[in-house]
Amino acid sequence: MNNYILSKKLFRNELSTFYSFLIGFIIALFVGSLILLIQDKNPIDVFSLMLKLSVGSINSLSNSLNKAIPLILAGLGISIINSVRLWNIGAEGQIFMGALALNFFYINSSIQNSALYIFLLLTASFIGGSICILIPALTKVLFGVNEIITTLLTNYIVFGLTIYLINGVWKDPASLNFPAAAYVSELVYLPIIVGKLSSGFLICIIFTLLAFYIKDKSVFGYEMRIAGGSELTAIYAGISAKQKAFLAMLIGGGFAGLAGGIELLSQTHRVSTGISQGFGYTAIIVAAITGMRPLGIFLVGCLFGALTIGGSVIQTIGVSSYIAEIIQATTLFGALVAQFFFSYEIKKKVENG
Amino acid sequence: MVDIQFIGLLNATLQAATLLFIAALGELITEKSGILNLGVEGMISIGAVSGFIAAINTGSLFFAIIIGVLSASVFASIHAFVTVVLKQDQTVSGLILTILGLSLSSLIGKKYVGKKLDVKLESVVNIAEPDSILDIFLSQNIIFYLGILLMVATAYVLKRTMFGRRLEAIGEDLKSSDSMGLKIAKTQFIATCVGGAFAGLSGVYLTLSYVPYWTDGMTAGRGWIALALVIFGGWKPYRTAFGALLFGFLEALGPRLQTYGFEMSPYIVKITPYIITILVLILLTIFKNGDTGAPRNIGIPFFRENR
Amino acid sequence: MTVPILEVKGISKTFGKVKALDSVDFYLQKGVVHGLLGENGAGKSSLMNVLSGIYIPEQGTIKIQNKKIDRLNPELASSLGIGMVHQEFRLIENFTIKDNLTLSKANIFLENFKEAYLKYSEIFSLNSSYNTLVKDLSVGEKQKVEIMKLIFKNSAIMLLDEPTAVLTPQETSQLKISLETLSKEDEKTIVLITHKLKEIKDFTETIFVMKNGKMVAENLQTDEVSDKHLIELMMGEIKTISIRKDNLKGETKLEVQNISLINNDEVNVLNDISFNIKSGEILGVAGVSGNGQVELANVICGIQQEFNGKVLINSNDVSGKGVKSRKKLNLSYIPENRLGVGLAPGVSVLDNSAIREYFKASYGPHLSKGKMVNYLNDLIKQFSIKAPDVKAEISTLSGGNMQKLLMGRELISNPEVIVAAQPTRGLDVSAVESIHKLIINQRNEGSAVLLISEDLDELFKLSDRIIVLYEGRIIKEVDIESANIESLGLAMAGINE
Repeated sequence: MNNYILSKKLFRNELSTFYSFLIGFIIALFVGSLILLIQDKNPIDVFSLMLKLSVGSINSLSNSLNKAIPLILAGLGISIINSVRLWNIGAEGQIFMGALALNFFYINSSIQNSALYIFLLLTASFIGGSICILIPALTKVLFGVNEIITTLLTNYIVFGLTIYLINGVWKDPASLNFPAAAYVSELVYLPIIVGKLSSGFLICIIFTLLAFYIKDKSVFGYEMRIAGGSELTAIYAGISAKQKAFLAMLIGGGFAGLAGGIELLSQTHRVSTGISQGFGYTAIIVAAITGMRPLGIFLVGCLFGALTIGGSVIQTIGVSSYIAEIIQATTLFGALVAQFFFSYEIKKKVENG
Repeated sequence: MVDIQFIGLLNATLQAATLLFIAALGELITEKSGILNLGVEGMISIGAVSGFIAAINTGSLFFAIIIGVLSASVFASIHAFVTVVLKQDQTVSGLILTILGLSLSSLIGKKYVGKKLDVKLESVVNIAEPDSILDIFLSQNIIFYLGILLMVATAYVLKRTMFGRRLEAIGEDLKSSDSMGLKIAKTQFIATCVGGAFAGLSGVYLTLSYVPYWTDGMTAGRGWIALALVIFGGWKPYRTAFGALLFGFLEALGPRLQTYGFEMSPYIVKITPYIITILVLILLTIFKNGDTGAPRNIGIPFFRENR
Repeated sequence: MTVPILEVKGISKTFGKVKALDSVDFYLQKGVVHGLLGENGAGKSSLMNVLSGIYIPEQGTIKIQNKKIDRLNPELASSLGIGMVHQEFRLIENFTIKDNLTLSKANIFLENFKEAYLKYSEIFSLNSSYNTLVKDLSVGEKQKVEIMKLIFKNSAIMLLDEPTAVLTPQETSQLKISLETLSKEDEKTIVLITHKLKEIKDFTETIFVMKNGKMVAENLQTDEVSDKHLIELMMGEIKTISIRKDNLKGETKLEVQNISLINNDEVNVLNDISFNIKSGEILGVAGVSGNGQVELANVICGIQQEFNGKVLINSNDVSGKGVKSRKKLNLSYIPENRLGVGLAPGVSVLDNSAIREYFKASYGPHLSKGKMVNYLNDLIKQFSIKAPDVKAEISTLSGGNMQKLLMGRELISNPEVIVAAQPTRGLDVSAVESIHKLIINQRNEGSAVLLISEDLDELFKLSDRIIVLYEGRIIKEVDIESANIESLGLAMAGINE
């Protein structure tokens, strides 16, 4: 082992993240099958049922894509923030804050039946997400406080705030056994495109392209890359790394906040604990595994949305919905391990100079 | 004669603190060697569920503790393998393991939800009606004392033994450590597994004593608080213990506030530990000028230079 | 002659097309201070790497203590008593001296650490307690600790790579005495690896000379061989690659007036610095690292905006203005920290190439990758940069190519003023030559050049005038004709005759 050394490959294989993901997914299916076999269930039956009930009909496909929206938007936000080499672990909280901000705006304004009003509501949710990440962003940029921990902790603060509100000031008296806020008027529900597919998905597509543009084709994206590489280089180049980092974080937080707003207006139709079930965390890993690429995040998000829907329906045949989660987590894990083989090679520790 | 309420509060504080502290201490060790393990939450969960299952099925608490500690440690070894051997990103690996750990334990524990233990971790000294501070300290169970022992042992090993100093050296400066001939991979791997073992012990404490039964999501983010605690404590065992006491106090205080005449919503109280952690973290970072005590090499994988 | 403690014969080592070592013979006598002399890139480091087990030669034999060693590796070399002090230190900054000396598994002074430390700190004139943190030591003191590490792991053979590069003349004398003591009293075998003639003659008893991968002289007795002979051996026939210094000088392009700067710890890092540079002129700045060079460059280049005094470029006052103002006036800065300041690590070659002019490739908020690629291709052609994959990360390029990219990027616009800090540090002979050519070309095109370098030879070769920085002030200023190395060396240590 002593004569061998790990070295980073000189040429990146553009498709390596894709292959890694594929490998990870195959491994995950394998692991999932094993678990099913242990439980005396036929994997083929279970998987084909999942497939049928997640993408087999217009309705189920729409459900899957709807499910993907928050995962994709949060993931996009995370990928933007990662341009400056920072991590946003607070997407979960930002999603909730987006919903809270939207509801706040909704309650304190007169309801109108117009696209403009819905636009304003969603803008409020975007801003809510940015507000949620404001303190971590400020403290990181001004004092260098570790943003992994601060964004993480805000999740719990926001979640606690949500519980407080839906049990207190916003409590819906009509909802007795499940504390939640009052339903918003049907006038502001996001319109359906086809089947059950929400127009929120269109917004999702637009924002995917927006994130792609920002990261890949804009001057801002370039400046973020330099700032992310080295703050000293950024200073040397006349780029304010702090400014770029701050903006990136606010924008990224906003993306996640928007996810919460869309979830409220198209799925839950009210503030409740159901706004997000951990997508903020899964989004981090999805973003990382796709190499922080917006287009990849979109595709993986759709896949995971389908998996989640498939997972929830197979409960009817007695299979735990956790299978879907385990498949997701194993996919990501397998992809992580597979990436190793694509990025490094084991060379004999001799020639180099 | 001390106020009964206070006795109850102190007892709850110590128990909550023990839970947090042991996991935090394990993460401290892992981070001191340069590895960041964000999977603590998942590892506590694995330890909790496996310890519980072992206790239900064998009736032996001793065995249950061993199983819980070992399974979490094995789970942590996955993180160790991915980050130390494969040198992949530590943040991503840790997060995946949290999700995996939580969903795996939910899956395994499904059949055991609602089951009651016949045995419970008893106090070491049996005091029927504790009514003094000393009584409370004596009536904790074995894991509490184990926690104290581990705290002292960890502090001693890190500062006064060769192994501990070398571990810290590796977390500080990989290149220099390598040129000194220190065994980097082995040390980091061990430190990660030990951290997982501690998390497992914390999980066992959760299901065998603190609660004591198994439900979904019962770790309730304590793994994340443990991570924050390590920073709060400046990577020093004794200061971390102090932080754990503080947080334990806040957790215990929450439901008791009304008896003390405070009209604060329990929901708000529940989030005060998180707010305080952020504040402390910010203050520490500002006033210590970035020298928070963090191992300088944390999160950075080691590559022997291919010269 | 007794049996050599170490003997290598016929060592050859090739990297791709380059023969780094060509049938080299080398041997060491116990208790003697040897010198290994040669220019940068002559093969000295490669030979040392073979001895330390880092490189494995394709041919040749290695004998240590008269025992043939088949395959050497770092662990084995260390256990056989071979220890090396590299130019970049391997010390843990936040730990104490004692920790750095005793944590290694090879430490032999487990019980009697205190006595050992007392003895050797005296030999090295190290006046710090062993509980001092390494980060609180000066560069010279750190080096002493590095050498002590070798003592503590009982290295019988000590290889010192360019040890005097970072030392003041005083510390250099101290080192000489320490090495003498070690070789005589402790019978340590010492090899001093350097390209500096003076050090070889001062320190060593016997000299080996390398040139272009070959050993061109073995076991020359130091007190018998002449400087001229050594130089001939090192460089071959004295090719006058000397630079013509009759360049025309025009108007003043860079003017620096009374620059003073106080840092966060209330220390005067720059103290009343004034000079000017004309078009077609190269002003060399000599000095040991850490005497204000980086701060001076940062002030001139707009990175450090708060200071006292004035900076004028082409008579435009840019004091207090930032980097963008320098770009507008066509000043280029080649920082000494290549990968970390001049180039962003973890970022692609393409992105790094655009750092100076990226706004020229943009239409409003949109960045044109096509324009960036064209620009990079121009750079690659003009400066012969080897960069096969432009999307690959920057550190996949070799050191020389990275520096060429950096310099090309900064020089392609024919800047009015160039600030170059340590431009050839760590590069091999051919890379150094091409970089020197680049600088001279720019000078001939009319640029005013501020050349900051620790390498006095380089300064002598290129500069028209030289100033010496010591503790933030200009302690000496000379024209190249009246400059001599001794007085400059003394000035670098703070002594102005």
